[in-house]
Amino acid sequence: MSQTISIQVLFHSYCREITGIDSTVMEIEDGLTIKELTELIMKTYPVLSPMKRSMLTAVGLDYLPKDYRLKDGDEVSFFPPVQGG
Amino acid sequence: MRRQVTITKKKIDEQRCTEERELDTRSGAVVCFLGIVRGTEGDERIKSLEYEAFEKMAYHQFNLILDQVQTQWPVRSVRLIHRIGIVEAGQPSLWIEVTAPHRKEAFEASEWLIDEMKRKVPIWKKPILK
Repeated sequence: MSQTISIQVLFHSYCREITGIDSTVMEIEDGLTIKELTELIMKTYPVLSPMKRSMLTAVGLDYLPKDYRLKDGDEVSFFPPVQGG
Repeated sequence: MRRQVTITKKKIDEQRCTEERELDTRSGAVVCFLGIVRGTEGDERIKSLEYEAFEKMAYHQFNLILDQVQTQWPVRSVRLIHRIGIVEAGQPSLWIEVTAPHRKEAFEASEWLIDEMKRKVPIWKKPILK
């Protein structure tokens, strides 16, 4: 049986508005990548599906490659394209 | 390179920013950029924009961008203020000042910094229509 880890998922801006959630704790399979977590998030929150291609993810305060394997305690943020200025 | 990054709900006070400018004898150019909220977007009339930031990450990403500015140009200082909260049309949402020995690098670094900010710094805006 595979082990699970606990991560915190944060939704910012439009992602928060359409899910109605700003943060949630998830138990996920150990070794899941950002790409795999994104698929899981899309299944859990189908309302985000139209944003799948444009949505950005960060782990902690950094953008990491989609094949980064998540670790216990990671904080993963999902948000729409940034629009500063 | 001196750096100062501020994300704030307070209005940008250009006069105060200018008064607080610190120049040294190696700075031959100062480029200031002011981003203003437009009153129209396409056919829509905009009353204001509501800005939101993931602040911890925004400061971190600004600092990573400034690390790169420092390696690419001989910039002496960067000061930057980005508004969050509601900014009325006609008001500044962004103020950037870059000082460098020569104008070419000051202009180049300013433009690059703004382009990078628009790609990486987690700040969003939502229009409030008239």
